[in-house]
Amino acid sequence: MSAPPRPRPWPDRDSAPWWEAVRRHELLLQRCGHCGTPRFPPRAVCNRCRSRESGWVPAMGTGRVYSWIVNHHAFMPAMAAEVPFAVLMVRLDDADDLFMYGNLVAAGVADLVPGLPVEAVFADVLGDDGEGFTLVQWRPRRRTP
Amino acid sequence: MGSGHLRDRAAIAGVGYTPFSANSGVSTLTLAVDAILAALDDAGLTVGDVDALATHRVGDSTPPWVVAPALGVPEVTWYLDQFGGGSVSHSVVGQAAMAVAAGIATTVVCYRAVNARSEFRMGGTGRGPAPVFDVQYQAPYGLLAPSQQFAMYARAHMIAYGTTHEQFGHIAVNQRANAAKNDRALKREPITLDDYLASRWIAEPLRLLDCCLETDGACAVVVTSVERARHLPRPPVLISGAVWGGGDSFLSGTGTDFTVSEAARVAPRLYAMAGAGPADIDVAEIYDCFSYSVLVQLEDYGFCPKGEGGPYVASGATALGGTLPVNTHGGFLSEGYVHGLNHVAEAVSQLRGTAGDRQVPGAEVALSTAQPGYVLAGTSALILRADR
Ligand SMILES: [Zn+2]
Repeated sequence: MSAPPRPRPWPDRDSAPWWEAVRRHELLLQRCGHCGTPRFPPRAVCNRCRSRESGWVPAMGTGRVYSWIVNHHAFMPAMAAEVPFAVLMVRLDDADDLFMYGNLVAAGVADLVPGLPVEAVFADVLGDDGEGFTLVQWRPRRRTP
Repeated sequence: MGSGHLRDRAAIAGVGYTPFSANSGVSTLTLAVDAILAALDDAGLTVGDVDALATHRVGDSTPPWVVAPALGVPEVTWYLDQFGGGSVSHSVVGQAAMAVAAGIATTVVCYRAVNARSEFRMGGTGRGPAPVFDVQYQAPYGLLAPSQQFAMYARAHMIAYGTTHEQFGHIAVNQRANAAKNDRALKREPITLDDYLASRWIAEPLRLLDCCLETDGACAVVVTSVERARHLPRPPVLISGAVWGGGDSFLSGTGTDFTVSEAARVAPRLYAMAGAGPADIDVAEIYDCFSYSVLVQLEDYGFCPKGEGGPYVASGATALGGTLPVNTHGGFLSEGYVHGLNHVAEAVSQLRGTAGDRQVPGAEVALSTAQPGYVLAGTSALILRADR
């Protein structure tokens, strides 16, 4: 069964490599080449040391649910058929100040509790421009470390 | 430059409104002109006295360089066309005070004019995402509207402090009770906590009655020097403190606790500039795009300890007759939503003592605040004082 088209992201010049990696089902973080601080969302300059040197490193791919909403109102026509759906704000296990958003998959909203351990999964979806793209989604972690 | 440099250098001499509605039937230019003319009339001034205009917008309104010639302003010596929604609303008045204090302008009309229901709905229904930096990480998940973003932080507060749905409801119920005493208010029928709890979910944990009324309308205030205001018909309302700033967002390295808003960062500077503290505030008109925005700011401006905003609003402290009446006009939840200037204008009415049935007796110092910074990483606020 094909899901309805999603609003596609509009990568910028800083984030394009991150989105390309997600398309390959790789979850990366940017890491400062000078002070080593990991950062997300991607951008060219480190906000700790102002270095422009950076590289891409694999993220742990795990985190904990910091907060969530259950969206009932059909704000987006493209997702009207999916309400109610959860949007998670996930604090990555890589660092306390790294957050990513995503939908909850492989579970129901009744399973959501504060701090729920989750892991990233990749979802290939159809964009609202008719082209495919890939999203990072989150499911309850099967094994806790 | 000391933080008190701007204190009591400028005053609000007039306020004006258009009617609030779901469909104004006119352009935002007409709304702006009508609100400005009403504010000038209130101040005892004319278009010929105006030499500066200031507004804020997000591509949804008419800029000063269109409004000024449409009004017939003889010459503009300064204008401000600030990008932004609710987080910058009060900065427009603060920057007008700066322009007056700096001698760049003598009479600034600050306005916000928007058809936020019939033309450009901030809630996002039927509208594509704006191409700003962080939308790419949110919109593909169906996370787009301010109500959803505030719901995310409201949930974080519930998790951290045990804040309840009923406590959010107290805010909505209280503001509707105030709106019942306000002829301008769009929603004047009283509601109960049960009505609140029965209203439909928009984005859990926020319900319909947690949300502002997307509104067509305009509001304007006239800012001039204190000396000049004292020679005008209305009692001046002094701009004792004005602040804007911030910095946190969900970007890495700028925040780990999203239960604290930007208000906590700017509040100390605001109070220092005004030479006042939370205990001095007689009435507070607090940005209420959503009920939670009131709760978190009551904490972050120091009216109750962090995490106790829920019990504080449930105690009745924020009702008319309480220790800190809040959103005496009904706020965005019940009066109407023109992004902040109607909060400033209500504070002016309270400090003039002209708020009628909803007057806070003897109100001398008012706090009015902007959106606390979750959507754009900044906020702004004013402390206003009666000139007596
Ligand atoms: Zn660095």
